[in-house]
Amino acid sequence: MARKEPRTETMEINHRKVSFPEGVTVHRAAELNGVYIPSLCSHKDLSPFGGCRLCMVEIEGMRGYPLSCNTVAQEGMKVLTDTVMLRELRKEILKLILSEHPSSCLVCNERTECQDYQGTIRKAGVTTGCRFCPNDGQCELQDLVEKIGLTEMDYPIYYHGYEPEHDDPFYDRDYNICILCGRCVRMCQEVRGTSVLAFTYRGPRVKIGPAFGRSHTEAGCEFCGACVDVCPTGALADKVSKWDGKPDGCYVSTCPFCAIGCQIELYHKNGRFSKAAANIDPEVNDGQLCVKGRFCLPEVTHHFERAKKPMLQKGNYFREVSWAEALERVAAELKGIQPDEFAMLVSPDLTNESLFAAQKFVRDCLGSRNIDSTARLELGGGLGLWSKLFSLPISIKNIAQADVILAVGLDSRFNFSVVGTKVRKALDRGAKLVTIDPRDSNLARYTDDWLRPLPGREGLLLKFFADSLAGRITDLPWVAEETTVNVPLLERALEILSSSKDLAVIIGPQVFHYDNNEALGDSLMTLAERKNTNFIPLYFGANARGALEMGVFPEIGPGGMSSRGQGIGLEEIVNGSKRLKAIYLVGDIPFFERPDCDFLIVQDIYLPPFKVDAFLPASTFAEAGGTLVNMEGRVQEVVQVENPPEGAVMGFMRPDWRIFADLANSLKGNSMNYKTSQDVLREIRKTVPDFPARLGRKPRRMKAIDHPEIHKPTVGKTSEGDFLLVAEPAGYRHRGIDISSKVGGLGELALEEGFRMHPGDIDSLGLKNGDRIRLSFDNGKVSAGGAVRADVECPRGVIYYTRPVVFGGLKHRRELLPLYILKQNPIRVNVSRIGT
Amino acid sequence: MNEKVLTQNFGLDHLFRIEVYLEQGGYRAAKKALTEWKPEQVLEEVKKASLRGRGGAGFSAGLKWGFVPKKTDKPKYLCVNADEGEPGTFKDRYILSHNPHLLIEGIVIASYAVGIHDAYVYIRGEYEVIALRLEQAIAEAYGQGYLGKNILGSGFDLDLYVHRGAGAYICGEETALLESLEGKRGNPRLKPPFPASVGLFQNPTVINNVETLANVPFIILNGAAWFLAKGLPNDGGTRIFGVSGAVNKPGIYELPVGTSLREIIFTHAGGLKPGRKLKAVIPGGMSSPILKAEEIDIKMDVDSVAAAGSMMGSAAIIVIDDRTPILEVLKKVAKFYAHESCGQCTPCRLGTNWILKIVKRMAEGKGEQGDADSLLRLAANIKGRTLCPMGDAAAMPVFSIAKKFKEELEASLKVKT
Repeated sequence: MARKEPRTETMEINHRKVSFPEGVTVHRAAELNGVYIPSLCSHKDLSPFGGCRLCMVEIEGMRGYPLSCNTVAQEGMKVLTDTVMLRELRKEILKLILSEHPSSCLVCNERTECQDYQGTIRKAGVTTGCRFCPNDGQCELQDLVEKIGLTEMDYPIYYHGYEPEHDDPFYDRDYNICILCGRCVRMCQEVRGTSVLAFTYRGPRVKIGPAFGRSHTEAGCEFCGACVDVCPTGALADKVSKWDGKPDGCYVSTCPFCAIGCQIELYHKNGRFSKAAANIDPEVNDGQLCVKGRFCLPEVTHHFERAKKPMLQKGNYFREVSWAEALERVAAELKGIQPDEFAMLVSPDLTNESLFAAQKFVRDCLGSRNIDSTARLELGGGLGLWSKLFSLPISIKNIAQADVILAVGLDSRFNFSVVGTKVRKALDRGAKLVTIDPRDSNLARYTDDWLRPLPGREGLLLKFFADSLAGRITDLPWVAEETTVNVPLLERALEILSSSKDLAVIIGPQVFHYDNNEALGDSLMTLAERKNTNFIPLYFGANARGALEMGVFPEIGPGGMSSRGQGIGLEEIVNGSKRLKAIYLVGDIPFFERPDCDFLIVQDIYLPPFKVDAFLPASTFAEAGGTLVNMEGRVQEVVQVENPPEGAVMGFMRPDWRIFADLANSLKGNSMNYKTSQDVLREIRKTVPDFPARLGRKPRRMKAIDHPEIHKPTVGKTSEGDFLLVAEPAGYRHRGIDISSKVGGLGELALEEGFRMHPGDIDSLGLKNGDRIRLSFDNGKVSAGGAVRADVECPRGVIYYTRPVVFGGLKHRRELLPLYILKQNPIRVNVSRIGT
Repeated sequence: MNEKVLTQNFGLDHLFRIEVYLEQGGYRAAKKALTEWKPEQVLEEVKKASLRGRGGAGFSAGLKWGFVPKKTDKPKYLCVNADEGEPGTFKDRYILSHNPHLLIEGIVIASYAVGIHDAYVYIRGEYEVIALRLEQAIAEAYGQGYLGKNILGSGFDLDLYVHRGAGAYICGEETALLESLEGKRGNPRLKPPFPASVGLFQNPTVINNVETLANVPFIILNGAAWFLAKGLPNDGGTRIFGVSGAVNKPGIYELPVGTSLREIIFTHAGGLKPGRKLKAVIPGGMSSPILKAEEIDIKMDVDSVAAAGSMMGSAAIIVIDDRTPILEVLKKVAKFYAHESCGQCTPCRLGTNWILKIVKRMAEGKGEQGDADSLLRLAANIKGRTLCPMGDAAAMPVFSIAKKFKEELEASLKVKT
């Protein structure tokens, strides 16, 4: 319904001639023409439900009171929406609804008083004695009572007395104020395809919740919050902002947590960011989000551990200092060293403005070539490959239009949820889905053909398909044997793929993180030549594409290859091949231990887990504006929500680009004269040739950088062992931290903790869920231990663990350190139990 | 005159075995239809016979079959509604337990007429033994070639499955039945679309009551004219009346459509016990509006009962004598419907609940003046405003009782206070 359809038909609503597009319901036709028909259960994205019965209308020639939400509007129809009879009828129904809804706020004598205090519900509770609902001004029932004009109630309130449910992360449920409109149930089922929420019991005892008394977590909830967004009352409410009261307003911004670039609404109260909700933006996410964007934003920026003041190591003490002192000290240190004795690492989560300012600071101000980004680790397969991928037409929206979808290693439960909803949409329209994934996933259950190769061989399969589709000669029996996939399954997949007119290829981040990316790279290049193919390569690091365009790598500068030649980067720092005097970490903490250097500068939103010499507090997405480039190349705005004055109360955080400008000024005078992020943006437009002059949010194709590097298999020793160990990329990075360490709910879910194995394997080893195991490889020379968790989604004989790129907040995963430095992925290991 | 049709052989031992059924001429109708007639002829004959649905709504079976699109790529389904849950109704269980092959034969003929190759019997969860017997009968029918591939050499295939419900009245509503059959929660669907076009698994579907289908073989064997002669011109055949309550001989009585209600109660069911007076009759299962003693001189057919302000429904006659306080009847009704509402739409979920609350407090002697009026208003609020007919089913008896017995209800308040 997002697209504007021509209004070709006409009908009469309340004796007025109106026009409407073919096929819409009477309710929608009225809405399009500005006629209000009350309703509590209908929703634009959901199928009609017919539960609330408020949208009944009178239609000439039809018996009784047809539902406008389920009656298709027809040419020449005569509809009355507001007769005396209908008004009476709605009042009666509303009275019934209110009879089981604590509705003191709706007809209470002191209602006006309550409204005055809406901002501070706690006080309102004290003043008026009413504490029934969040009263955050988002209650559709409240509006409806006013519109229908109900002032008295005939029934006493039938209070269910359900215990409010707080036990699952992220959102609370108080089913005493639920009116059973079923929106959440339909959202969960129809749009998200999760079916976690259902109606339980029946008649007056009907209640929403997961079936069979399970918790939301047990029932497979993705915590996408779509149910909370459609709830017309306060029955479902964010834990974080539930009692914030009525927000002052909201800004439409871009989610800074991944490269999808979902549009979000950031609500604020008293100048402070309070909660995020999905924006109905048809271009990218269309009202859908994942757990990260929906629930994790406020805690990441408002966590009590947030570092808010500049700090310096002074003698034995690490002290809070003023900006002037901190800048002076850092500038002095940088002045004293040679350009080649310095290196900077920047995070792919920074805005374009900050990334650009960073590279300009290093290259122009310090005259160094040594700037690198951890985006390199997220973009497995090499920057050359990715610049080619980014030169293809990538469209998340168009996944929904595909007739065949090839999903490789995609699980859209917690990451890239929006991609999952588009896949579902396509499947609803009759598309076919071919899945290549050794692991079970939330999409595997919809698949037409599910290929489960050995982990690490996905690329081989993809190459086989790419070559076959391109008409090259392939060796099917060999591929079948190498990947351990049955020949009939392969043939069927090939048949489906060949039949496609509009193919979407979605490649999950896992696939790029194997050590051998040769086949994958080849296959992607082959597929790229195919027409009508929509590529969706998924990666972590929200602005990694921006990092590529801004040129924050030794070999790549703004808009293409760097003219300055090779510099020192991440690899040299990690393997210690060159000792540096000063290292400057901006946003990312890719180490557990302090990297070896004389002076370590960290500029981030949280303190790193090791000793630093200077800490510069940076602003978060909520405190600094800027732009991000999503995977499709859309340049999207991150809107500044909070603008606190610098001070002891609110902190001394500054946007990253401003810190660089300040430092540059301390070093050299006015070489980086930026007052606002707009100033930086202006310079980006001048320097980066393809950067759009206006923020139109249009998808762009990047110019491929001719950069040959593709990761060849590291010729490591082939290890022996009973199990295959696979490293998964961590999905919850944001700047230097893993957000699961700051967001309570994510921590509770513990999605990336420990080792994950099939329960059958755990049983066969005589282990129990939660037992600690030791993995040893390389003939027992190297080993690491940790807890094991049963995960039915794992294939037999495979152990999964998460290998993060940034380590902030992950102290507790230090025991897996020997695994993090492994080059091979996957690798064969032996498993033993720790203890008795 | 009083010849039984459906129940004629119910006295026979082991009629549920296929051998006995075949001895009595069983499956002759199926053979005739499948080998001698074209599907359209079968459909035409059933239409001519004015066979009206025995489940409650009384819709013409022939018309219903005719609504299914003839030319479609989609599979078509037949669902047999054996979810006999209406209080007072117990006719289908007799057919299912005494003569399951009669139903199977009816299913075969109906499926042939509409071009259906998969049929389901949705049987009430509580009918466990009956379901077993039906499954046994189906196995026998498969064994003898009356079900399965190429039935009786006609080239017609039909598979028949039994699905047991889980104890919800609402699943007797046809669309809720479909949802339940699909493995979902038994909530009714919004109409339109109607099951004839979008039914089971989104495909065209016919839903018929057990008794309706059991009539089909006789129509084929004896012709529409014979069937019409049994009953009335626009409501053919006989009906199985289930009489319960304060009569001497409760049970099922197969009588021609149009037999008078008074005759059924006083002649066939043996009248009331000595010394008791008739107070009221619920003529078509609990959901039909109540009739007072002086209103029972009516013919029992769909149109006549409707004209008298009630409903033929499932022809389950509940007889109430003067010793039964009407409040007790009302309480039973209110309790049942509040318990069985699915909870999807507001008027039914909350309306039935409030009716129950008011009736309960009346029964506990805590009734207030105006409670009868509240009941009337609540019931009027439910009727015609709900998602499915279950709302009407809950509202109609309450409305009629509160209206016709208002004085008694109000008097009972005074006595208690």
